[in-house]
Amino acid sequence: MGINSRSHGKGRWLVPAMALIAPFIVSSAAAASAKAEALVSAKCGTCHAASEPGKWDRISDSRRTPEGWDMTVARMTYAHGVVLSGTERRDIVKYLADEHGLAPQETASYRYILDRSPSVIEHFEDEEIGQTCARCHSYGRIAVQRRTEGEWRKLVHFHVGQYPAIEIQAGGRDRNWFEIASGDVSQRLGKVYGLQSEAWKSWKETKHASPQGKWRLVGHRPGWGGYEGTATVSPGGDDTYRVDMRIKYANGKVENAKGSSILYAGHEWRAKLRQGDKDILQVFSLKEGGRELAGRWFEEGNDAIGGDFKAVRADGGTPVILSVQPAMARAGAKETLTINGVGLKGEVSLGPDVVVSKVVSRTLEQLVVEVEVARDAETGVRTVSLDGVSSDGALKVYRSIDLVKIVPAHPMARVGDGGGKLPKVPAQLEAVAYAAGADGKPGTDDDLRLGVVDAKWGLANLNEAAEKMRDLDFAGRIEPNGLFLPNEAGPNPKRVFSANNAGELLVTAAVQDGDRTVSAQAPLIVTVQRWNDPPIR
Amino acid sequence: MNRMKPLNKKARLIEAAPGAESMDKVVAMSANVAGCSTTFDPGWELDPFLGVAGLCQPMEADLYGCSDPCWWPAQVPDTLHSYPGWNEGNDDAARDWRALQSVFPK
Repeated sequence: MGINSRSHGKGRWLVPAMALIAPFIVSSAAAASAKAEALVSAKCGTCHAASEPGKWDRISDSRRTPEGWDMTVARMTYAHGVVLSGTERRDIVKYLADEHGLAPQETASYRYILDRSPSVIEHFEDEEIGQTCARCHSYGRIAVQRRTEGEWRKLVHFHVGQYPAIEIQAGGRDRNWFEIASGDVSQRLGKVYGLQSEAWKSWKETKHASPQGKWRLVGHRPGWGGYEGTATVSPGGDDTYRVDMRIKYANGKVENAKGSSILYAGHEWRAKLRQGDKDILQVFSLKEGGRELAGRWFEEGNDAIGGDFKAVRADGGTPVILSVQPAMARAGAKETLTINGVGLKGEVSLGPDVVVSKVVSRTLEQLVVEVEVARDAETGVRTVSLDGVSSDGALKVYRSIDLVKIVPAHPMARVGDGGGKLPKVPAQLEAVAYAAGADGKPGTDDDLRLGVVDAKWGLANLNEAAEKMRDLDFAGRIEPNGLFLPNEAGPNPKRVFSANNAGELLVTAAVQDGDRTVSAQAPLIVTVQRWNDPPIR
Repeated sequence: MNRMKPLNKKARLIEAAPGAESMDKVVAMSANVAGCSTTFDPGWELDPFLGVAGLCQPMEADLYGCSDPCWWPAQVPDTLHSYPGWNEGNDDAARDWRALQSVFPK
């Protein structure tokens, strides 16, 4: 990408030329793409030589997500002096993510790094790549890029040039790092995350679906619980859309949301909405030929707080069961269950030992029933079905909660505020109940995940070191809904060494199951701020 | 070695520290919280034991010792190349940390 003073000269010629041609191009999306291609030529092409129309040195040797391209384009501005307006940056990223993006299945295992899911424990798809790259970055950051082997090798060279300490850090100094990274690992990267793929080739040839229309949605917001609602998506021009949503939580809260979205590469849905009294960002994928929209949303500037989301076409005519709230019922209990979906007609069946005693209310999108679960009902999943539709495992019946787990399993929070520029990063915890499977033993592979349950939360010092530093007195507090709020940033003169309000805590969740209490515990780490927080960590 | 006795507090802590075997074990299990640096010298947000007790404290005392040599450029701005002006005019991090911004341009 070029330095601004150079790129402007070319830009003045190319952009007006494209503006003249544009009215003659049939589709407005194609016109926007041609205009964006001219913008890339103008802004990037002065340094990245064009080998043929729409192909530039280095740029066309890699494929990335919208976030990945935005990080690259942003780096060109702060590291190489390219000057871009907000609109130009967005248009360039849109063009690159469309033309050099990733197919849905290429990011499917790594959505967490795009949707900023908190405290995810990663498993390396490739150990060699993990050891080299994931000692500073998330593994996911690498796994959502595609490059030629030569381009991966150039990235290694870039790292040595930009960050020379890379060779003398732990994980670098104990081996011939440069030789390994520019040799075997670059080869490996070119093989595992190479530029060419059948998935992308066929995705590029696919006619992409429009998200326009009416949607029926469900989701779960940790700390608040399940929700359901509706959304209307209407066109805003050039792959942008207007979004209106109404969501109702199981706890009775109702939020309206309104905003706009952009669809990148035919499936990467990124939206910003005013939801309730917060600005939220949605990182979704448009799937199943445009019949499903799913992902995670989070508060802007506070991505630890958000929820998962799944929507299906409300106007498609195909019946679907999306969720049952609550999704767990105890043997011998009377429960009110809400079934959410589309086209819910006919008599409902909830499987063996679960009898509907009363239909409280019903529409085609929601059915509320009172049920009685037999005292001797077997623990296990139940299939919920109505006319022409069924959902295996939508309801779980259990005799007792045998195990509770805290999620995330390794929660982290960060100190913040205190007069500084960076906000606190809270940790939203949940207690998930399990029943022992057929082997009768909790903690084994056949355990049945029942769902999120209320818990009484507690904190303690994690270990002797934490005890000595009195971490519990300084690190933060936990709310009744499992929301851990860390304390303020900065050196604390009240602590030994004027330490930060960091700490190692033990969080406990006590869940009541009849007369019994089932408890779980997890380490909760409160750490320091992150001063560099790009869209992909 | 058996005849050597620790004379001060730090030496006693070194003697009491876990051996290489347990270090290997925790390092092996630790490369995992997405986005956290696992370059344990000692670590930016987590130490080799997945906690914070082994980190520099307060962090501000060593912050510019991290940013100047690009020690954790994924977590702390590198002032060598990418963000040379990040801490300009804020010479003492322990005093001036409130003025520091997160760097990625929105």
